[in-house]
Amino acid sequence: METNSFDAIVVGSGMSGGWAAKELTEKGLKTLVLERGRMVKHGEYPTATKNPWDLPYGNRITQETRKHKYVWSRTGYPTPANEHWMIDDLENPFVEEAPFDWMRGHHVGGRSIMWARQSYRFGPLDMEANGKEGVGVPWPVTYDEIAPWYDKAEIFAGISGSADGLYQLPDGKYLPPHDLNCVETDFKRRLDDKLGRKLIIGRCANLTAPLTHNESPQRGTCQARNLCIRGCPYGGYFSSVSATLPSAERTGNMTLLADQIVYELIYDNDRGKATGVRVLDAKTGNQTDYFAKIVFLCASALGSAYIMLNSTSARFPNGFGNDSGELGHNIMDHNKPGSSNASVEGYLDVAYTGRRPNGFYIPRYRNVGKDKRNYLRGFGYQGRAARAGYARFNDSAAIGEDLKKEFQEPGPWNISMTAFGEILPYHDNHCRIDRDKKDKYGLPLLVVNAIVRDNERKMEEDMKNDAAEMLTAAGFKDVKVRSDSYNVGNSIHEMGTARMGADPKKSVLNKFNQVHACKNVFVTDGSFMPSSGCQNPSLTYMAFTARAADHAVSELKKGNL
Amino acid sequence: MSAPEMNTHEPEILRRRELLKRAAWLLGGAISAPAALAILQGCSAKDADTAAPVALKVLSAAQLALVAEIAETMIPKTTTSGAKDAGVPAFIDQVLDAVYPKDAQQRFTAGLADFEAAAKAADKSFLDRDPADRAAFVKQSLEAALAGEREPKPFILMARELTLLGFFTSQVGIDENMDYVAVPGAYHGCVPLSQMKKHVYWE
Repeated sequence: METNSFDAIVVGSGMSGGWAAKELTEKGLKTLVLERGRMVKHGEYPTATKNPWDLPYGNRITQETRKHKYVWSRTGYPTPANEHWMIDDLENPFVEEAPFDWMRGHHVGGRSIMWARQSYRFGPLDMEANGKEGVGVPWPVTYDEIAPWYDKAEIFAGISGSADGLYQLPDGKYLPPHDLNCVETDFKRRLDDKLGRKLIIGRCANLTAPLTHNESPQRGTCQARNLCIRGCPYGGYFSSVSATLPSAERTGNMTLLADQIVYELIYDNDRGKATGVRVLDAKTGNQTDYFAKIVFLCASALGSAYIMLNSTSARFPNGFGNDSGELGHNIMDHNKPGSSNASVEGYLDVAYTGRRPNGFYIPRYRNVGKDKRNYLRGFGYQGRAARAGYARFNDSAAIGEDLKKEFQEPGPWNISMTAFGEILPYHDNHCRIDRDKKDKYGLPLLVVNAIVRDNERKMEEDMKNDAAEMLTAAGFKDVKVRSDSYNVGNSIHEMGTARMGADPKKSVLNKFNQVHACKNVFVTDGSFMPSSGCQNPSLTYMAFTARAADHAVSELKKGNL
Repeated sequence: MSAPEMNTHEPEILRRRELLKRAAWLLGGAISAPAALAILQGCSAKDADTAAPVALKVLSAAQLALVAEIAETMIPKTTTSGAKDAGVPAFIDQVLDAVYPKDAQQRFTAGLADFEAAAKAADKSFLDRDPADRAAFVKQSLEAALAGEREPKPFILMARELTLLGFFTSQVGIDENMDYVAVPGAYHGCVPLSQMKKHVYWE
């Protein structure tokens, strides 16, 4: 049907889908963007300007929310201020063979609205490790090849940070860094002096100054409210709703449809190509087919894997493009088995103003240079120092006038930090489809089975010991290291279900995110990652999506797709 | 950026009362609790005959009255507002209902009964004591709880946490005790306290 035909289809409107939409439309392609959740336009953030007293229940999660958003609730994320971005897990079931914290946001913008905005490059250390160590498959792309695309992503998105000259964490094109606070600045100096470890300000997608380009007139600078997860009416941080989708919209080439659940790729056996996607309307249940020359899957690592696994044909009986048998396998995330904190004496005559939507970062130092451990890869810490608020009185006997006097003074300083470690790509960590179990749309359920293994457990020892060592070396008191049980998925950095590699027998995608066995389908969300690094991965999805879109259009023009 | 315009504190109490009234209307059957409303309004029980009904969720009117005085003892009205001015009693009832699981609600109400029984055993009903006597009893309860077993959380510490939460998420609690700026505009990492107005909103 004529009206259902486009040059390109993008499945998903989050971090990757937004970039695919922007790049493809800017290059002139009539592009259909399909989002399974509801419509959200920049500025439509219902709780963004609410004051603390405007929110019910002191902004505490209710029992009703716990029941419905039970996967999300394991993490403690949902509150009345943000839960509208978090899906109802009861209505969107999947099968957990091992507990898996699959946190989904079904709406235009996806999780790019709720992300924590930490934006780090993967460097040569990360991208060469698989090849050197014989783990998984080697990255088919070098750091030098992707570096210009990181530049492009950082400049457009607006990433703030400092250039620190670290081999393990390449510098980028940054807006001015946020301040470290007084305690963090001293912590940085002591860590360097005593342990030779570096502490830097977080590199985050918040505009600490106006953008250096004029492609996003709808965006203003960060107002230091630190309410980002609600959506920012100022456009002070990057999301697909605030940045990439408006750019795509302005080209006049984008058609964005919400409430459209893509569940299958349509494959033409004779032409050896995908011709489009099959869609259910989330509200009416009606089925529609949409057609295009190229398809970008940007539905999240498990979301895209689901669509591919569910797309079987004579050519692909085990899932779309699954000649290698790796589709759905090698699920990774970041290992986050606990956090640590300490009290800080002194600094009572200094504080900070504004609420910084960012913290400090201690980049990986394990298995870097001459350091050699009994495990592979490494971890970084994200944390902050702050003065305690009123909650410190939960454990005090002060009442009456004494209490009132005390809570008008700022509390003592404390410091906390959490390690994020690399998880290796294990074939056994996988998802698959169970065709006997169905959701309310009649679609089969995804089964997920992923756990942390020996390498991550060995790393966990260092994560805890090193945290205690650093906080103690800095002279902080009451150092506490907390162990949390960790489910894969909890860091919300799921990756690896359709990894890229040079060898089609061992990977699903080639170096340009094209399905090896079907070159007009591109997968550019976390699915493609051959290894997880220990850095937050979103910036890498942006860079690879932009590069894949560039390649797609150039190949299309050459008649190769 | 300049600080946002300060609102008056009156609407806070009104807002929570309106909310309760509306909730009662929506539910189709309001529980008449004039004493409870009197507490929300900060007036005495005998004035409450003319008051509109209010829907309580977990606490009875008598329990709410006791909770209100415990909260007010912790954060009393002085030259600045106290817990009752901030609507804390009704807030506690709402949060117990929506946020706490049933077993925790029951621990709270059982703990409240024990609290009153202990007050009576020691001397007389908590509500019959004067403010100084109430303060001494609450402080003693807090000290005992902080020195003892914390799991499950003792009643007095549950009451304290809810009082602090209710007070510091209310407009009066924030405006009168913190320098809350809705839109700070920028973050400055290391500022001498002497250059700051008062307790900045840290949470």
